Parts: sequence; structure tokens; C-alpha cells
Amino acid sequence: MKLFEYFGFTGKVNQLMAPKQQFIAQKISRRYCVFAISLFSLQGIVALLGAVDLVIPDLPSPIPFEYGRAIHLGLSTFWPLIGTMGMIYFFITAELNREIYSPRLARWQFWIVILFCLLILGSLALRIGNGREFLEGMPIFYVGICLALALASYNLIQTLLTDKRNITPAAATMTVGMTFLLLLLLPNTLTYTNPIADEATKFWVVHLWEEMAFELTSAGFIATFYVVSGLASRAQIEKWLYLEASLAVIGGLYGTGHHYYWIGFPAVWLILGSLLSLVEVVPVGLLVHMTYKGLKHKKIRSNREKLTLWLLLSSVFYHITGASLLGLIITVPWVNLYMHGTFFTSGHAHLALFGSLGFVVLAGCYYVLSQGSEPTLKGYKGGVLAVILLNSGLIAMSSALMVAGLMQAYFWRILGMDFMEVRLSLNPYLILRVLGGMVFTLGDLLLSWHIYRTWRTTNAK
Amino acid sequence: MKLKTLLLLSTISLALFIAITIISSRLPSPIPESAVAGKLVWQRHNCISCHTLFGNGGYDADDLTNITTKRALSYLIDYLVQPPVMRPNNYTHHPALDEVDAENLVNYLEFVDTIPTLGWPPQEEDAEKDL
Repeated sequence: MKLFEYFGFTGKVNQLMAPKQQFIAQKISRRYCVFAISLFSLQGIVALLGAVDLVIPDLPSPIPFEYGRAIHLGLSTFWPLIGTMGMIYFFITAELNREIYSPRLARWQFWIVILFCLLILGSLALRIGNGREFLEGMPIFYVGICLALALASYNLIQTLLTDKRNITPAAATMTVGMTFLLLLLLPNTLTYTNPIADEATKFWVVHLWEEMAFELTSAGFIATFYVVSGLASRAQIEKWLYLEASLAVIGGLYGTGHHYYWIGFPAVWLILGSLLSLVEVVPVGLLVHMTYKGLKHKKIRSNREKLTLWLLLSSVFYHITGASLLGLIITVPWVNLYMHGTFFTSGHAHLALFGSLGFVVLAGCYYVLSQGSEPTLKGYKGGVLAVILLNSGLIAMSSALMVAGLMQAYFWRILGMDFMEVRLSLNPYLILRVLGGMVFTLGDLLLSWHIYRTWRTTNAK
Repeated sequence: MKLKTLLLLSTISLALFIAITIISSRLPSPIPESAVAGKLVWQRHNCISCHTLFGNGGYDADDLTNITTKRALSYLIDYLVQPPVMRPNNYTHHPALDEVDAENLVNYLEFVDTIPTLGWPPQEEDAEKDL
């Protein structure tokens, strides 16, 4: 318990600062972020249980593995989605320094997105679903998510149009990102008899949400955070943000081609997918350049901003390594031919999805919920410890998965051994994945607890 | 660069991307009714969580893209109707289907097998050539 006290998980972790002027949208954004963090903590537990299920034969469970995995995948998109909705309302008002078009719509949107997320997760727990990977819930429930996204897009567009002369690049980029989230989910509310079309459309969410739409919303948030914390000047940001957004859109869209290689599409996608995936790396380069320059010239003193920055830097790290470098290697068709469909892809997916996107949303949610407070030294240490545990756990489990994937590719694909013989030989690596998952879940729960306490402190104000 | 440029680029890129995706999604032959019914069985039982098709899905069970080339249809139907214990379990069986669902599902997998996948998954002899 002394360790808990030392790192500030008990006792006082935050102190209230002078209250700042808050827009109604910023108050509403807090409920989105709290809910996102709650789902994130649930995710850690669900994911760990799923990983354990894979290594313990006949493990009894009220929810069978196939639906547990579906809940895990559902959560992996819902918590960043809800967190992003909150972050955008918070940062768009900070950017524009005015209220959003309709706080009332934002409240409705919150209840709608929560209702349909819970309906999807609840129905999957009852073994009711539609069996499309990452979109396992019933299609009608995704119509509800689309409704929430439509309200968000309408609200944001109207907010921008209320004062056309003062549209900032960060606000516009976040709005375009939100609209893309809607446009890309809409075709996934339909049912397809054509398995090729079904598979391709699925990637409009699996790939394009993360590598395009969320890239835009995250770029807007990061730009605003860099301006507010003094890491970059507004002029610098405004110079590159639209360029970064355009490259993210083009690279993201045509980079989807690397998911189209083997699903029945023509061979031209091998060229399109591999070449245009290179474009996806350019915005990451711009982000890294901006971060490096900012950190070189400015020393951040606020512990709140420092903790946000640790989370953001974690994301930048996985943007470079897990998403860009590793992603590019397995995008090469000759490499992909062997790595595709193995645990290697799973390792990459964890680094790219949680590493790049998850950490950004955690940074945003923490910043939103800690508005008006400053962590005590103990509270800050606790937050940093949680970030270290999250990173260590993520690297350990993804590395174990990638080693398992390399062995799987060699024994199964190259030597032609029986799938199940190979799968059983991978158990030691899957056990290592569980151990990494335990460290990750510990970091997840500690960070969630820290953010929850921060929320309680700032709520009491 | 201006907002208008971003919006214009986004709209044109999205429209073109959707168009070429639709053109590329053409099936090599029309999908039979029983295969459509089998696709729904596949989805209803959430098979994708453990198995993969075209290499996409869960990695805990075998890829079924070309399973009907490797196994006789009657073997697959029997397997689904009277599923055996799944290794490494001692008593947990593969989920069971009724006869009609099993036949439809196997018809669906037979149809999937006809979709050209540009040489994926690599076979042992292909791997030797590549290396």
C-alpha cells in the first residue's frame, strides 16, 4: 500500500487551480471523456481474459471466446470514438474561442452514442451479432452510431459556418475527420451478399477510421495542444496542417489497398496499396518534426501538460515504429504474402491501433478532464508510472505476438506444417503475451483510476 | 494550402476511391442462393472470431479460404453436424450446426474457394520457389 501512496494512487493527487472560463460544450465534453475512460478500463480486463482463454484449454466462461473477441474489437473502436467526440467539442471551442452551434444536440448525441454502444456490447454478450470482424454488432445498432456521428458532423459544420471568417485549420481538420467517420461507417450499416464487397467495405472502418478519419481528428487536437502549451506557434501550425490533412486523406484512402491484396481484388491493388501507403508516412514525419522542434525550444513546466505530453509522445513513438515502419515492411506484397493471416499482423495491429490512436485519445481525455487542476507531485508520478506500464505491456505483448507470427509464417506457410501443430507450438509466446497483457491492464487500470480521481476533483469545483 | 483545397481533394479522392473499389469488387461468377444462406450462417455463428477468410479474422483456427480444395464436402458437413473435441481442449467441442446450415455453410466456403486471391495463401512449393 505504501507503493500506492508513493505514486499517489491514494491520498491527494490533484489540486484545484483558479477556475478558467468554460464553454458549455467543454462541460459536455467531460461526460464523453469519462465514459471513454470507463470503456478503456473495461477493455483492459476483457482483452486480458481473452488472451488467457487462448492458452488455457477448456476455460469455462459465460461468454464464449468468439463473442468475447467481438466485444474486445467493439471496445477498441468505441472508446476512442467516444473520447474523440468529447475531445473535439472541447478543443474546437478552445480553438475558435466561442460556443458550439448547439450544446443541446451535443447532449443528445452523447446519449445516442452511449445507448447504441451499450446495445452492441450487450447483444454481443448475449451471443447476438452479425459476424463481420470489427463490426460484429447488429447492423441496425450501427445506424444509431451513424445518427450520433451525423449530429456531431452537423453541429461542427454549423459551428464553423456561424463565423466563416474565423475558421482555423485545426477546427476544420477535426470537423472533416468527424464527417469522414460518418461517411465511412454508413456503407457498413448495409448487408452484402458479395463476400469481396463485404470484406472491402469492412476496411473502410478497420483501416480508414484509424489511418484517415482519426488521423484528422487527432491532428486537430495535437495542433491545438501544441499551440496552447507553447510547443508550436499558431503560424507554424497553420502552415502545415492542411497539407498534413490532405496527405492523410490521400494516403489513407489509397493505402487501404494493402488490405485489398488477397480478397479477390485485381493485381493493380498490389501496386496502388504498396506505393500509396508510403504517402501515409509523410504526415507522421511532419508531426515528428514539429514535436522535435517544439521540445527543443520550449520547456513545459506544468505537470498536467507534461503528463499529457508523455501520453502524446507515446503515440508519436508508435506512429513511427508500430504503424509506419512496421506497417511499411508488411505492406511490401512479398512480405505480406507470408505475414498476412498470422499473429504478426495482430502484433502490428495492437501497436498501430492502441499505440498510435489509443494514446492520443488518452492524452486528450486526460487534458479535458483535468482542466482547472494540476496534479500533485505524487499524482504526476502515478500518472507517469501508469504510462510506463502501458508502454511496457504493449511492447511485450506485441513483440510476443510478432515472434509467434514469424514462427507461424515459417512453419505453416513455408514448411507446410499442419496449422494446429504450429498453433500449439506457439503457446509459450501466447503465454508471454498474457504476461505483457497483465502489465498493460495494470497500467490501464492505474491510469483510469488516476483520471477518474482527477475528474472527481474537478467535478467538485 | 487552404480549406477549400482540402475539401476538394477529399471529395475527389473519396469519390474515385469508392468507384474503383466497387469496380474491383466484381465476383468471378454469380453467388448461388445456398452460398448466400451459408454466408449468413457464417456471420450468425461469428466464425470469423476464430477462423480467417482471405487471411482476415481470428488467428486461433485454420484459414478456410481454400478448405473445400483440401477436404471433401461430406467430411466438412459431418464435421459441422457432429463436431469433434477441438485440440488442445479435453472436452470442448467445435460449435455444432444442423444439417441444412452445415450444407449451406459448406456451399459458401466452396464459393469462396473460387475467388481468385492472387496466389494467397502461399503453398509450400510456391514458398520454395520464392525463397
